[in-house]
Amino acid sequence: MASVADRLSGRHVLLTGVTGFVGEALLQLLLAEVPGVRVTVLVRPKGSTSAASRTAALLGKPIFAPVVESAGGVEALMAARVGVLEGDLADVPPLPAGLDAVVHCAGDVSFDPPVDEGFRTNVVGTRDLIRRIQEVDPEHRVHYVHISTAYVAGRRRGSIPEGAVEHDVDLEAELAWGLAQRTEIEHRSRGTDVLEPERRKAEKAHSRAGLLTAASATEAARKDWVKAELVRVGTERARSLGWTDCYTFTKALGERVVEAHGATARVSIVRPSIIESALVKPHPGWIEGFKMAEPLILAYGRGELPEFPAAADTIVDIVPVDHVVAAIVAVLAHPPEAGAPAYFHVSSGDRNPLTFRQLYGNVRAYFDEHPFVAGDRGAARLPDWRFPGAQSVERLLVTSERAHKVADYVIGRTPRSDRARDLARKLDQQGRRLQFLRRYLDLYHEYAQAELRFSDAHTLALHQSLSVEDRERFAFDTAVVDWEHYLREVHCPAVTAPVRRMDEARRARKRNADLGLRPLEPRSASAEPDRPRAERAWSVGTEGVGSEATSTPLPSAAAFFDMDGTLLSSNVIETYLWLRLREQTGSERFTELGRMAARLPGLVRAERRERSAFLRSVYREYAGARLDELEAVADAHLTDHVLARLSPDAVRRIREHRAAGHHTVLITGAIRPLTRPLAPLFDHVEAAELAVDERGVCTGHLASSPLVGESRAAWMRQYAAAHGIDLAASYGYADSHSDLPLLEAVGRPVAVRPDVPLFRHARQHRWTIVDWSSSTASTRTLNPAGDAR
Amino acid sequence: MSRPGFVLEVDDRTPPLIVHEGLGFRLESFPLGTRVVYPPESIPTVPDVEEAIRDALLHPHDCEPLPELLRPGMRLTIAFDDLSLPLPTMRAPDIRGRIIEQVLTMAAEAGVDDVQLIAANALHRRMTAAELKHIVGERVFRSFYPQGQLYNFDAEDRDNLAHLGTTDKGEDVEISKRAAESDLLVYVNVNLVAMDGGHKSVGIGLASYTSLRHHHNAKTMVQSRSFMDHKHSEMHHSAWRMGRLIKEHVKVFQIETTLDNNVFPKPYDFLMKREWEWSVKDQASMLAMRRGLAVAPAKLRHKMFHDLRGAYGLTGVNAGEVEAVHERTLEKVHQQHLVEVQGQSDVLVMGVPYLGPYNVGSSMNPILATCMGLGYYFNSYRGQPVVRKGGAVILYHPLNEGFNQLHHPSYVDFYEEVLAESTDPAVVGAKYEQQFAEDPWYIHLYRTSHAYHGVHPFYMWYWAAHAMDHVDEVIWVGADRRVASRLGFRAASTLADALEMASGTVGTSPSITYLHNPPHLLADVR
Repeated sequence: MASVADRLSGRHVLLTGVTGFVGEALLQLLLAEVPGVRVTVLVRPKGSTSAASRTAALLGKPIFAPVVESAGGVEALMAARVGVLEGDLADVPPLPAGLDAVVHCAGDVSFDPPVDEGFRTNVVGTRDLIRRIQEVDPEHRVHYVHISTAYVAGRRRGSIPEGAVEHDVDLEAELAWGLAQRTEIEHRSRGTDVLEPERRKAEKAHSRAGLLTAASATEAARKDWVKAELVRVGTERARSLGWTDCYTFTKALGERVVEAHGATARVSIVRPSIIESALVKPHPGWIEGFKMAEPLILAYGRGELPEFPAAADTIVDIVPVDHVVAAIVAVLAHPPEAGAPAYFHVSSGDRNPLTFRQLYGNVRAYFDEHPFVAGDRGAARLPDWRFPGAQSVERLLVTSERAHKVADYVIGRTPRSDRARDLARKLDQQGRRLQFLRRYLDLYHEYAQAELRFSDAHTLALHQSLSVEDRERFAFDTAVVDWEHYLREVHCPAVTAPVRRMDEARRARKRNADLGLRPLEPRSASAEPDRPRAERAWSVGTEGVGSEATSTPLPSAAAFFDMDGTLLSSNVIETYLWLRLREQTGSERFTELGRMAARLPGLVRAERRERSAFLRSVYREYAGARLDELEAVADAHLTDHVLARLSPDAVRRIREHRAAGHHTVLITGAIRPLTRPLAPLFDHVEAAELAVDERGVCTGHLASSPLVGESRAAWMRQYAAAHGIDLAASYGYADSHSDLPLLEAVGRPVAVRPDVPLFRHARQHRWTIVDWSSSTASTRTLNPAGDAR
Repeated sequence: MSRPGFVLEVDDRTPPLIVHEGLGFRLESFPLGTRVVYPPESIPTVPDVEEAIRDALLHPHDCEPLPELLRPGMRLTIAFDDLSLPLPTMRAPDIRGRIIEQVLTMAAEAGVDDVQLIAANALHRRMTAAELKHIVGERVFRSFYPQGQLYNFDAEDRDNLAHLGTTDKGEDVEISKRAAESDLLVYVNVNLVAMDGGHKSVGIGLASYTSLRHHHNAKTMVQSRSFMDHKHSEMHHSAWRMGRLIKEHVKVFQIETTLDNNVFPKPYDFLMKREWEWSVKDQASMLAMRRGLAVAPAKLRHKMFHDLRGAYGLTGVNAGEVEAVHERTLEKVHQQHLVEVQGQSDVLVMGVPYLGPYNVGSSMNPILATCMGLGYYFNSYRGQPVVRKGGAVILYHPLNEGFNQLHHPSYVDFYEEVLAESTDPAVVGAKYEQQFAEDPWYIHLYRTSHAYHGVHPFYMWYWAAHAMDHVDEVIWVGADRRVASRLGFRAASTLADALEMASGTVGTSPSITYLHNPPHLLADVR
């Protein structure tokens, strides 16, 4: 009996998908154990990296080291045994002549691909590849080995034989439908049915920041909708025909294409079940990337997977990757007759079943022994699974999702505070976990329910037909796997290792992380040698914008500050009252306070809706006041009001910016008189101007639109251009969601005591968040002059 | 007749004693044998204030009577102490206002029409109009303030400062130009404690940083033993040298007043009584106040205390040549404050109250609390410190009041940046003083807002330099631990714990002295 190596000696095999998990293992096995075989790999160039260099990089991986060494280097190995065919399954290039076999392991491995992508890779890709084979192989000598999945059986139950899946789906019709979905859904997404609700939602959330921000949020939501819809229609169509999802559906249709080819050619179809880390080769526990079970194992280890919607006795059909590739090589060495496609299940469930209870028990035992210690709070608490059934897991999840939604609504409307931010942070974490659970439970729900037993009689027969040495070298009898050993000693350690490394790195980073802002380097002394250090560092820029620009080189960076809430704890209503109450007697004050209190709910609503409308309606109250009197009152009394509320950290930061030679700019919707006490800290102050008539009396309108939301960003861009400021190197400081455009316009945004929406945005985008508190000292009474003295 | 101060030795019949701690007080049971120093009760006041003032102005010491110094066409400047004196602020009418009224009346009679009134606030914060009005009185305020003839001294107004030369030790003398170029400078002071007055009035109150830096520094302050005894205070020696130089340029007519010890008005007067002599009414007030303070929010407690006005009585008023006047003033001050204490002890206990010279209407931030405890109270001695060299000081204050951003902006930065690096007065002074003193933003706030000068927190820290140098251990009872450690001290939750902590320095049965103030006292340690 000829050995596998002998049978394949001198053969030329084309491999697809070698950059994937199975393909890589297969290439390694062929190079290591079948010395006489020559392979050509079909590799897609990625960006500027050519297929050849991608292949070279692949061969540089540790598992190839022995092969590379014996060949005398990567280049030597490639010259001798590994040919590279640059190309893509979306556009298969002509194949080289003289091929003996083709192993097609490329394919979409995601369970929920957008429907068009599923069809394109699993059906169109296969068909194009086969057409190219037919071009170079008119005599049907080439052995085509198709790697499929055991789950092409779809929603069938019970024992599944190694044979063609029975169905009478119209391949061409489904294909045409599937490929058309992208255009179709893109088209539909632009209709009012989709856009209007998304726009309303976005405007509600972002109107304070501005309509363009809302518009970009709407567009992002539309794109998300398209993605989700493409997955949804695929899954729906698959289920309507008896498959679990688009992945298995298109894989099954792909097999049909192969079977058509197999009517006249030599074709083998290998169907592995769930492929996990290697049992023995290239080394125990070898795995690349995360597969199907890993996210769940990791989530369980972190204590984030409270239950699983499977029955305790349902079989999880897992096979180690080295068994799969060994079986493929054996199949490759034993081509069937033309016209009689051979099917091989590489699975464990029939002869060596692993139940969910066993899986759970072993994973739990592993984590009990080797817990994750991610944070600084010790090991995570592991949930006890009771396998209550899919229904109650679903109920639990739905209840949690509802609770989260309610909490989210509430927290989004809570006034800002440390507690609200902390709650928001926890809630978001909870939300991410729920999202994860929802995605994976939806995805695996079908598989967890699948009471399938894949018969692997053909595979076993093939195994037994091998010589004793080959059975050793190309082991693929899954009955030998000791699940307890495999899970506890091989698989779990392998999949948790990178996570543990990452946790370690994160901990180290956290230890070294400086919390909050990085201090700024003062401008170097050589820049202006003739000015004393202190003066230069803290220079008070009363001279305004123009003069500095002429004397010193233009600053490359600037720092933009919002005022209310960021620099000081105050708001326009409060400052308005301060200004007006000064001029009034006791009873007038009382009336005024009452009137404003009555208006408050309306103002709060206006503030939620649109900031500029809110400002306008507050400034309407200034109608009839004399501007010069306002300014006099502001100078005499509001200076104290503003300075007493000023956050010392903010002032220190502004001064640090000046010391670093940055341009400092104050942007506020408040009226100009209120900014006067702060003017010396800034190179430029952009504030609202009250319009006055010819007598100097305020009309209650503004001289120009208040600078809020997006108009701030526009103004900043224009200002930066005029002053040679590099916005990407500049800083922005603001406290509320409506300041989003200001923060987004600069390269270094900082959220200062943010409200919950901004807090979330900042966390998402890894912006610096600082807590500049301002004094709440007892000077904050309504009479700044003090009453008793 | 009032009783003199005395030293109580705690025995088993001694009730718990009042200890002030910020916006509140506690009743503390001291270990047996603790010496408690009580100030003298209020000494008799003058029978007729207006008459006493008139008499002082007409019969000055070593000087012509005031009317003889006044003539038409002359430049007359009246300077007066700012709101840092007295503590707490005096009930209206303020004694300074009453004196200024009489001076102005005499000036008017003499036909003087070039008169300016300057608050001698040196690097202290500008007073508000209301605060000025309280000191000078409604009538004077109305006549001078709107015209700009009553104003705060601005130590950063370069155009209105005059450099008068240097002393024989090379110290610059730079004071208000208006004061220096006046034909007569009348200074009205409140000599609350022995440290005040004399040449310190004009030489420091109207001086700029250029001048102040010569004596307000760690080196001089550590050699001032104590501030309350000008003959042994390096700082005062410097001020005296400057005062004598000023005298060569401008005629100074010094008017000094002394007050009695009536710092707490009714119904808080129980705070000034000896605890075992509390009447039922006093005990009721005490209980009511404690209960009230326990439930009141910080803001309300702050208002409650800071609205207190001292019911001071005038014990004396002297006018004339600075040194002659000050000698007589000190006599009165000593009569009111001096308590004889026999020998030093291992541990000195002091309660830091809600108010010091620099937080009138403001908050007692940690730096001011340190200055109050280790600067003012520690230095309330004559002869030698109450605590032995290498002993321990135990202070009561929660150190949690925070900073008033309006009044003390540079303090925040001093706390966050300077103290984080070093708490050694000499080190921080050498490295940072000039930077803070010349910082344009602080100067801007000092001149236009109500902020203490940028350099002021350094002075607070220098005040404490002598104490920090003298004792080995400073422990704050009931203080915020993080704050205490930033200041370079330790915090304890109770007196017993504090003594336990200090036992490494002073042993397990140290001798303890508790200074029972306020009201003010001056320990004459033999």
